[in-house]
Amino acid sequence: MSSVTLVNSLAGLLILTSLLVIEVKQPRWSAILYGLQSLVLVGIFVALAYATGAQELYLWAASAFVMKVLLVPWILYTALSRVSDTDKPRNTISLTLSFVLAAIAIGISFLVVNQIQLPAAGPFKPALAVSMAHFFFGELCILTQRNLFKQVLGFCLMENGSHLTLALLAFHAPELVEIGIATDALFGVIIMVVLGNQIYKSLHTLDTSDLRTLKG
Amino acid sequence: MTGITYLLGLLLIPLILSLLIFASRWLGGMTRFVVFLLHLVSVTLVLVISLLIVRSVLNAGEIFGLENWLHVDALGAVFLLIIGVLGFLVGLYSIGYTQHDLQTGDFDNRKLCNYYGLFSLFLFTMLLVVTANNIIMMWAAVEATTLGSVFLIAIYGTRPSLEAAWKYVIICTVGVAFGLYGTVLVYSNAFNVMPVSSNASLWTEIVKNASALDPVIIKMAFVFVLVGFGTKAGLFPMHAWLPDAYSEAPSPVSAMLSGMLSNCALLVIFRFSIITNLVLGPSFVQILFLVFGMISVAAAAFFMFTQRDIKRLLAYSSIENTGLILVAFGLGGPAGIFAGLLQTINQSLVKVLMWFASGNILIKYRSRNLDQVKGLLQVIPFTGIMMIVGALAIVGTPPFNIFVSKFLIIAAGLQAGYLWLMVVCLLLLMVVFATFFRFIASMLFGEKPDNVARGETNWLTLLPGAILIVLIVGLGLFIPSDLMSLLKGASGLVLTGNPGQQIAITSLKDFLMPLEHLLP
Repeated sequence: MSSVTLVNSLAGLLILTSLLVIEVKQPRWSAILYGLQSLVLVGIFVALAYATGAQELYLWAASAFVMKVLLVPWILYTALSRVSDTDKPRNTISLTLSFVLAAIAIGISFLVVNQIQLPAAGPFKPALAVSMAHFFFGELCILTQRNLFKQVLGFCLMENGSHLTLALLAFHAPELVEIGIATDALFGVIIMVVLGNQIYKSLHTLDTSDLRTLKG
Repeated sequence: MTGITYLLGLLLIPLILSLLIFASRWLGGMTRFVVFLLHLVSVTLVLVISLLIVRSVLNAGEIFGLENWLHVDALGAVFLLIIGVLGFLVGLYSIGYTQHDLQTGDFDNRKLCNYYGLFSLFLFTMLLVVTANNIIMMWAAVEATTLGSVFLIAIYGTRPSLEAAWKYVIICTVGVAFGLYGTVLVYSNAFNVMPVSSNASLWTEIVKNASALDPVIIKMAFVFVLVGFGTKAGLFPMHAWLPDAYSEAPSPVSAMLSGMLSNCALLVIFRFSIITNLVLGPSFVQILFLVFGMISVAAAAFFMFTQRDIKRLLAYSSIENTGLILVAFGLGGPAGIFAGLLQTINQSLVKVLMWFASGNILIKYRSRNLDQVKGLLQVIPFTGIMMIVGALAIVGTPPFNIFVSKFLIIAAGLQAGYLWLMVVCLLLLMVVFATFFRFIASMLFGEKPDNVARGETNWLTLLPGAILIVLIVGLGLFIPSDLMSLLKGASGLVLTGNPGQQIAITSLKDFLMPLEHLLP
């Protein structure tokens, strides 16, 4: 298998892991699955580095491994372990519907990506379409999940999407750009987890449908 | 002193002071004094340095720092001016407001340190947005404003404030993630086509090389940017977080969110619109601006009409004003852009004045409900005047500043041939007018509740309002020549992408005869 095919196949695997993150019943498991997904992302960076000869991507892979495979899943796993198992709010839409929506997102992304005339993107267009679709998976996760921390994971999925787009379109970009984005996203996760914990402590719930005082 | 010293000072002072203020909690009996002192130093220095930078920009056209990562041009200077001046005034008002919270026990020393530490941190993040030239840093700074302000919204720790904070953080982070995607698309495209790819993250360099960018990517990127940063600016239909966050935050924080933060998001949108216009021509951006602007004005006008909560009403009014600014930019041409920029300054001043008044009302009446706030002039007469001036100004009555900018917007619209759009716009503004008329009448008339004592809280909750009234009336009567030249430079930049380009004011004269005295 050529490294270009490898990049595109791994991107396909990203879709699968995303859907698992969104659909798995136990929030704690979705944190672990997110780590697994990030591992696939790291794999893509390495394959891409090999395919394009962009040395910068090895550094990206290393920093993504630390932040996204270890740090963020660990933060979310601990946050989710501290809250009791009794609150397991369900999703607002059925499994079938979310698969249908995901398929639509992928379809649209492929259509859009086909319009782009960029030499660098050429062989990686399938992966590029997946990265864009990912962005909408994240959105789907936030809109359909009622657990606060799962909404945070939705944000993480979106962020993985833009991370992959950046890698595919500008793989020679300086490491500093990538670190800047990753650090900011990490801060975002930390702040949201702190606030989520504060909400759990004061209001004893992680279910967004209990947070409906404000209206109008 | 040079531009770079100013820029570094502008950013480092509030950042360092923020850390010192956080650390002041361990000073025991000295805590309160030290916190207020450091806070005052922070907002005063930010004001002074902002003014110095604006002066440098007036003299030099633009200034750079930190290997061109930082940059202020005429457009940035307009927004920096707003943040510098309003940051100082909100800073003063905060002291009066939190002193009251300390007396009632709503604040202890720990909360006080958190509040002022976050205040300076939030100020720093907004200053970073308006001085950023690196588009990735610009995005990171906008994201940082969310993270810096979320705990200010939740500072009281009540159920509604926690809910509002969660809604704010999740919707804005997701929104800004869209902004990131747009930014990444522009950066990646620039990286591949620019002669010096290491400059691909610098906004000033992307603008110079805009002709090489791919139209499809830039089109897509701008939609992402508009949706993303538009969420932060509170545009309809991405506004869901805004009424909650503005109404549950302490009033000085609402003032910062509405008078300063939403402008930061607008500035980023305008920066990307300059690139997009150079690649695609102006019509693509203009149509999007007109559509988002008009639906924001329309939706906000109707939400306001049914509102009985003072702070939520002001929040929707913010959406309406942001929409109006976008409409002005959507009209395009020198007149539209100029009017939009003037409206940005004017509405920020008036909005902040009204948030101050709403804060004073909340302190006194312990309620934001229009049915309970009665006899305002008997209880807190000066706050009453602040509210009256604010309401008259916001709906656009002369001699206040917004009259001038709203007039210019309508004139620009007619000039650009949007007769029916302007008619619809005026009808919607009539709804807003009626709402504010009812709003003021409801508070002024009626007997004051028995449990509310007469008298203002303290002079620091009034002084910033008095200064704002002077500015609002002053800008309604004439525009100082320095501000005029800044606005002309900023409009020229938005139209052409060239920082040295001022709009030709003679073309404005042709259709602004009634306001000729405003023009040099």
